[in-house]
Amino acid sequence: MTTDLHDQDGLAALDGLLSHTTVDGIPTLYAPAAGKEITAGLFFRVGRADETLATAGITHLVEHLALHRLGLSDLHYNGATANAYTLFHVTGNEEEVVSYLNSLCAGLRDLPMERLETEKEILRTEAAGRGGGPQHQMPLWRYGARGYGLSSYTELGTWSLTPDQVRHWAETRFTRDNAVLWITSDHVPDGLDLTLPAGSRFPAPAPTSALPVTPAYIHGDDGHVVLTSVVRRSTSASVFADVLGRALFQDLRQEGGYSYSAEADYSPRDAEFATLTAYADSLPQKQDAVVGGFVDTLARLRAGRIEQSELDSVRTKLLKMYDTPDLGAASLPSYALSLLLGHRVLSPDGHRAELDAVTLADLREVAREVWGGALLQVPGRGVDWAGLTVAPQYSQEAVTGTRHESLEDDRVTLVIGTDGVSLLTPKGPVTVRFDAVSAMTTRPDGARALTGHDGFSVTVEPTLFKKVTPERIAALDAAVPAAAVVPMPARDADRIPRPRKREKPPRDRRATARAWGWTALLVLLGALAAVWPVICGYLIVDRIEEDRIPPLHGMFGMGVLEFALIRWARSVNRRRRDARV
Amino acid sequence: MGSTGPTFDPFDNTPELIPLRTAAQAGQWPAVRAWFTGLDSAEKISTGSAVLADIDGVETFLERAAAELPGDPLPRTLLAERYIHIGWDIRSGARANHVSRDQFDQFHAWLRRAEQLLIDVCAEQPAYAPAWTARLLTARGLELGQAEARRRFDRLSAHHPHLYRAQSQLLQQVCPKWGGSWDAAHGFARECATSAPDGTNAGAMVALAHIEHWLDLDGTERTAYLRGVPVRDDLRFAAQVSVLHPSYRPDWNAIGAHSAFAFAFSLGGHSELAAPHFAFLGDRASEFPWQYLGDPKTGFHTFRTSALETRGSAHR
Repeated sequence: MTTDLHDQDGLAALDGLLSHTTVDGIPTLYAPAAGKEITAGLFFRVGRADETLATAGITHLVEHLALHRLGLSDLHYNGATANAYTLFHVTGNEEEVVSYLNSLCAGLRDLPMERLETEKEILRTEAAGRGGGPQHQMPLWRYGARGYGLSSYTELGTWSLTPDQVRHWAETRFTRDNAVLWITSDHVPDGLDLTLPAGSRFPAPAPTSALPVTPAYIHGDDGHVVLTSVVRRSTSASVFADVLGRALFQDLRQEGGYSYSAEADYSPRDAEFATLTAYADSLPQKQDAVVGGFVDTLARLRAGRIEQSELDSVRTKLLKMYDTPDLGAASLPSYALSLLLGHRVLSPDGHRAELDAVTLADLREVAREVWGGALLQVPGRGVDWAGLTVAPQYSQEAVTGTRHESLEDDRVTLVIGTDGVSLLTPKGPVTVRFDAVSAMTTRPDGARALTGHDGFSVTVEPTLFKKVTPERIAALDAAVPAAAVVPMPARDADRIPRPRKREKPPRDRRATARAWGWTALLVLLGALAAVWPVICGYLIVDRIEEDRIPPLHGMFGMGVLEFALIRWARSVNRRRRDARV
Repeated sequence: MGSTGPTFDPFDNTPELIPLRTAAQAGQWPAVRAWFTGLDSAEKISTGSAVLADIDGVETFLERAAAELPGDPLPRTLLAERYIHIGWDIRSGARANHVSRDQFDQFHAWLRRAEQLLIDVCAEQPAYAPAWTARLLTARGLELGQAEARRRFDRLSAHHPHLYRAQSQLLQQVCPKWGGSWDAAHGFARECATSAPDGTNAGAMVALAHIEHWLDLDGTERTAYLRGVPVRDDLRFAAQVSVLHPSYRPDWNAIGAHSAFAFAFSLGGHSELAAPHFAFLGDRASEFPWQYLGDPKTGFHTFRTSALETRGSAHR
């Protein structure tokens, strides 16, 4: 059952736990908590997954700009941009909370655009200081450079977004119809003015896919094993995440001593699906055992070898959250989010009943669902032995167009075509098609970096490939949709790449020996081809001097042999070059 | 007991295996299954599965049995052992740099098939030692690494310590040829010998480690290695607490364990120390480690003669 923001019948299940109303058209949940201070949160159903790679960061910018006028205050407040929502929250006395919320909505109605460039710079600085984390790459491999995959990327929009774009985003996404408010109080405070434009409620974005086959794996940094999967939201799936975390901790840390951390997490992604993440770290010399243990722990859960006691202790832990005096207030954020995403609203009694009903068989089902959709990131060698398929490392096909040999590696060629760009490498092509570009950054020096919806990217550096003329760059610019273009500032001269010295590719000794053999043969044939005409000439002149006409068929035979020698020499030269690669 | 030399045939040496061969060659899964279920130890199941894996064509009925008995660990484990055997046959016993790319691909493909069966078996029945033992072979062939092989061995040992076949498989893994070191190999062998109760085959790991080390050396170093006093003393002590201990009861691995000592002592020129092992062996020998000699049969014969001569009664 999903709950419409304004059709609050689903909330009837929560009668007695919390109250609901609307404030300036915004659905509002409230319930009292002990203490003098209250907390309020204003959710909007907009987040990183709603952006494009070219506008990435626009939600974050709106959040920063809207809070700007609050300036420096002792008030405990903040904003947070997640994949599918943005949350503003504040804790203080009633008056402070009212003033924060009023000021926030005033800010959203009229963003201080004079601050735009400064806030963009602040966001870029924030991003530079933010570490990626071991699971940083997982979203882009699963979803590509769109939707839920964007959290793997930097906020490119912080370079190029215009005031109009940002204002439009605020006007359409930060509306009263796309919001839910919650307050830990037994009443809605007086004096609130939360006027926001009318709009419509946006459902969470539909997922994109860059993974043709699952379970799949990718290679990652040393010391970390990460698994993500997507499962249907359910009470048993959230129980499973805890069971998995404990199982990994027991198998990898307590039993094996291979890991220090081993844990799992369940986070709702949208109304219907959640992301399940499992993680274990490892010492460098133990990491192949961590991978093996990880695979085995998942296999045992899939096989249903889960102790009833494991389920029972997780259940007890989860039930403990209901042992809080201000249950209604504590559960406000989670109910508000359900309302916002259109997820069913489940009363505490309903949830308790579902928790009680979870069986070992349910957990086994979830384990199989998790494995079926799994993406595993491993250090070191691959995990095809465990039945996983490596995620695509190259594009399915290459485009045709002008060919530009790399100045660093003659086995690599850049192709600029009418349908897209391809980088041809010895192991396969990497292609970005113009009808599936997520973003193209541009530099005044001509450099272009294209990222496709599938996450593959091709960087066109005119200094690193032959004959990438301004005309070819202009052709690129004309072909890429304007909405995907992200102009970047000029680079310092020393940041413009120059071709590195060509490195001779490592060759095995046999190949080298073969190449030497062909070279020797080439020298021999070349010498023969050079000497033979001299001999022929001598023979002919000699006969003529003896006043004898050389026979025609003899001269023809000489010519044929010379022709053959040249052909052989050329073919040997080709073989010699091949042997060197 | 005049003879032409030893037999290396496991069926001659362990006649209890003959009904298994008969049933397998006839393609009779029920009889094969009955033979295995009649065994009283994980050690024997593991020996039986290695022997069965060497019989051509058994995968046909094992695949059927595995499909028909999805919850039974036995047919899947036997099938996995057969796949591993097929894979290893393609790879051949050669050192890695003599194996072609295509051979490696096929070898790995068979091992992956085996491994995926074994992952499930071990997940369902973590105490099922034959599956864990087979996973030591897949770990080595698929080059999953030292720590992963050790993890598998530890999972197995948690339920079944001192399994001879598992120990000899991990010993191969910890040797330099598979990415280990001599310290690791001798350390592991010592660990096997000292952690086992007196009178088991585990002491033979010490001999096997020295044999591997000897094989890896060249020229005079090689000749000197097994002749050295420290190695001799190491071997002598290991033999005393294992196969020569009064509480020792021979089992299906006894021929392999005695062969290891007889081989190591003989090549070290310690004929008198080799004698009790040859006396036990008589005309029986395991292929391993005798296959390390160019002509195992003649080698065995010569060494046995010298050894038994030291006892004053020639054995021809």
